[in-house]
Amino acid sequence: MDDLGAEIGTCISEDDTSVDDEPRSKKRRLYVPLSAECFKRTPKETGFHRSARECLRKIREDLLQHRWQEAAEYMISYFQTLEDTTVTKQLLASEIIWRLGTEILHHHPNSNPEDFNSFLEQMKNIGVKSYLKVSLEHAFHLLLTGHFDEAKQQLSIAESWRYGRQSASQADKMKLIHAYRGFLDYFSWISKKNATSGDDDADVADHKEMHNYFRQASVNLQEILKQPGVWDPFVIGYVNMLEFYNDQDGALSILKEYAYDNSFPPNPNAHVFLYDFLKRHDAPEKKLIRVLEVLQALVPSHELMLELCSLLLKSDDEKHLEEATGVIFSLLDYSSWKQNLEAWTYLRNTVKILKKKKLMHLITKEWETRKDWWPAFHFRTHHAKIDLEESKELITLKAKTASLLSGHKCIYCRKKLELFKESNGHAKKVRNVVKRTASPIASQEVSRGHY
Amino acid sequence: MDEPLIAQGSSFQEQCSQCSAVDWGVTEEGGYFCRSCHNVIERTLEVLDSYHSNYRVSRISRESKKNKKLEHGNDWMVCEGFQFILKHQAEALLEMGVCPQFKDDVLCNFWRRYLQKSNQAYTRNPVTVERFQLGSDTDGASESLSLSDFCPSASETDVESSAPSSISGFSSDGGASSVCSGSLDANSYHSTAERKRWNLMTMPMTLAFCHLSLLWLREALTLSDLLRFVAEGHIPYINAYQVFPEEMKLYGKDSQIFRVESIPSHRKVQQEAHKLAVFLDLPRFPPVTQEYMLHPALLSLKYLTEANLPDELHLWVCRVMEQAGVGEGTYLTYDPLGRKSCLLSYDILAAALIIVTMKLLFKMDDQKEWKLSKKTDTENKQNKDNGIFCLRKWYKTVQRALDLAKEKEVEEIARQSWKPRKPLYSSRKQKCVILKRRRVVEHLQTSFQKLTNSTPEPQQSPPCSFRFRWGEVDGDGPSYYNQHLGSVVMEKNGSLHLMNPKYWHTALKPCQPKQCRDHFREIEPTLPRSYIFLLQLFSFLLGVGESCIHAQVIQVERLLIRNAPRTPSAQKLQQKQKN
Repeated sequence: MDDLGAEIGTCISEDDTSVDDEPRSKKRRLYVPLSAECFKRTPKETGFHRSARECLRKIREDLLQHRWQEAAEYMISYFQTLEDTTVTKQLLASEIIWRLGTEILHHHPNSNPEDFNSFLEQMKNIGVKSYLKVSLEHAFHLLLTGHFDEAKQQLSIAESWRYGRQSASQADKMKLIHAYRGFLDYFSWISKKNATSGDDDADVADHKEMHNYFRQASVNLQEILKQPGVWDPFVIGYVNMLEFYNDQDGALSILKEYAYDNSFPPNPNAHVFLYDFLKRHDAPEKKLIRVLEVLQALVPSHELMLELCSLLLKSDDEKHLEEATGVIFSLLDYSSWKQNLEAWTYLRNTVKILKKKKLMHLITKEWETRKDWWPAFHFRTHHAKIDLEESKELITLKAKTASLLSGHKCIYCRKKLELFKESNGHAKKVRNVVKRTASPIASQEVSRGHY
Repeated sequence: MDEPLIAQGSSFQEQCSQCSAVDWGVTEEGGYFCRSCHNVIERTLEVLDSYHSNYRVSRISRESKKNKKLEHGNDWMVCEGFQFILKHQAEALLEMGVCPQFKDDVLCNFWRRYLQKSNQAYTRNPVTVERFQLGSDTDGASESLSLSDFCPSASETDVESSAPSSISGFSSDGGASSVCSGSLDANSYHSTAERKRWNLMTMPMTLAFCHLSLLWLREALTLSDLLRFVAEGHIPYINAYQVFPEEMKLYGKDSQIFRVESIPSHRKVQQEAHKLAVFLDLPRFPPVTQEYMLHPALLSLKYLTEANLPDELHLWVCRVMEQAGVGEGTYLTYDPLGRKSCLLSYDILAAALIIVTMKLLFKMDDQKEWKLSKKTDTENKQNKDNGIFCLRKWYKTVQRALDLAKEKEVEEIARQSWKPRKPLYSSRKQKCVILKRRRVVEHLQTSFQKLTNSTPEPQQSPPCSFRFRWGEVDGDGPSYYNQHLGSVVMEKNGSLHLMNPKYWHTALKPCQPKQCRDHFREIEPTLPRSYIFLLQLFSFLLGVGESCIHAQVIQVERLLIRNAPRTPSAQKLQQKQKN
């Protein structure tokens, strides 16, 4: 009993830490920009604001139902909100108009790129407070429509934008602009690389140009990677370039910084990138395991957990085996892995190894915390049915595990036997029928019946 | 009115700000320049020499005025602006067919009376000058001087002439239009005490003026119609200042006086009108008798048509009206100074009479009326002519039309344009920002109009006093005007009686009229839905809140019971009500 209590205690404390790891995602309230709140009538509303409110509601309805023409017609009336007499409402209006307008222009059948560009130019100038945001989205839109060079130009213009105190207050946006500028340079670098790698006698000038792109990109990307944030594409690009120029150490330090700096928000991808990099460069297994352990703490259901499990099972250390058991069990706690053959195979292999090493108590320990909910989660009769539909191998594996964990008389095992008997009988019958008639029509019918 | 800077004679003895010399010359435009350093200062000769050289003053002032006109426009008073707006509103109403006396005889007289009562004109000592001096900018001390010179002329100006220079005649100095407003006396409109003391004009008050004048003439236009025409843009109200002539520049503090961001509610205009009538000390209004459209007998006929109810019902509405005593001249005629006087809402009264009649005939308690409809259905089937009014059918027709009309109204609200072509700006600094915004909005609008291939402004439909069209080809549904009431009424001893013996009213409970105004929201969920539907219908037709109509219904019910004469038939009716 003491052991059990201790176990539950540890289990609870583990849970606690896992909660502590991602407090933001749990506590942050869901932000829905157009909740029903803003469509409610306020007691002292003016007629103008009422018109604006109703108009926005209409536009929203039309957008949700993809009626772009009607939405655009209401937009004509909504533009007057830009002339609101209160500054906060004006700012809000310019943001709403910018976002809704781009959406409408993006989908409206009559719109053309010139309209789009002129609309966004106007939006930049009407709300200088969001100049850089609009510029950035403008660049994204140009990329979306395949105008790479224009997008780059747009970002360059935004980079050189100055507007008194306004540009200072948008410093963080400016960093993003620089970063994306660098990212686009990275793309230019890649296309140059692909062009030069094809022919061996590429120009020196080409190489120089490529190196230029690398320099420009790396300056900007380096800068943004100093800021806490989620910069996955930037990191990949930068590391890719460093690897090309054989700066392994530089790349590794970038990845380590990105994964382990506490000021950054917890980001599973950071660890994945680091792991991939280490694996590419044949790092020792110990290092790999360490990286994956951190990832396991963040995302126990990550697909790399299977690799972690296999790495852990390779070593003979009892501690590693214990960890492997924990990893595979917690992986199967998640419904996305419920029918994964590989995961169940790993569990089976783990059991085999532990049996060989006479460490079955490790299994019991893991089972102890799950015995009250796993049977309902994995081992019901209807699970058996759908598992059989998935594959025969899966149901066999699961039945073996089930019999080990909760005895061979559990309902899953019984159902499995039943199903197997049925299908055997059915197969026999089918065989008989086929033998008897030996006609293609009959076999078709049979197969349909079987299905 | 001391002018410390002016020395007697033509010399100006202030030290030059640049070289500190006192040696001034006068330029051809009348400005001073320093002879030693050629520094030109802003002070002009005009005011300085006004004491001894009349000829020069007039010449120079004309010139300087021309220059100022380009920048500031003429000087004008806020009440002139309102006069312009009233004039245009009156013209719009005349175009709609209001009787020709409306503008020149009634509204104009009210307005003159207002100007006099508020000491703005037609008085020996117009208060505006005093006020203006208090509120004016002190940067040019010369203004006050010139103002006092012109004081007496103000009382003689003809306010009714529509020329913008009428009142502004008393200030010829262009500098008077201070930086913070285009008009001369906008400042006083911004102090609450001043506003209250002189009952200064506001935009809703223009509608109160129109309403009172219409009422005086007993015109067929009710307040709810008036407000609807305003909302539809047939009567200038939103951005009405755009009719001002070019010389009347409007900016700064004026913008807050003339800017309109909503159309006032029925209740608000009613209050303003009453307040105004009391302020103007108006005598008893001409009596509203049976032959005028405002009389509930005729007005209820209009609303019966609007609500698609059978004409036969009118007889019963008139009976309710008589018994409640609301058809009498003493009840209907407005006397601003009478004891306990208040301005009647004729439109709401007529609607309430119809609702009370419907309650008497059909009970409207979510049960009785459907039972009666069932009975009517079978009768109609037997007779095979659909000649009897069936409430269920009426409800279905009207409800459908009402929902559609409401939806359409919301669409129109969503599309309504509030912002003027010539925007108002509250300070010169903001001018370019606001003008730029206006240009951007216009550009965005044209680009989206191109995108949607839509015309800039949809054609305005002509004003119409009916909101629904029943029994027409493209109308809202079949009409029930000619249907009979059938078995809802029965003939006994040669007179008509109601079949429905019962009547319901809201629960009686003590209430302090001063503290609690409106109980409608609390009791709304407990009221029968068919009654609520009637309220909704008339609330839509009149453009007022459901609670207003409900309050009037209760009022009529009270009067009905109190005033019922003690005749046997009435006693029977009263007994039925009590049941």
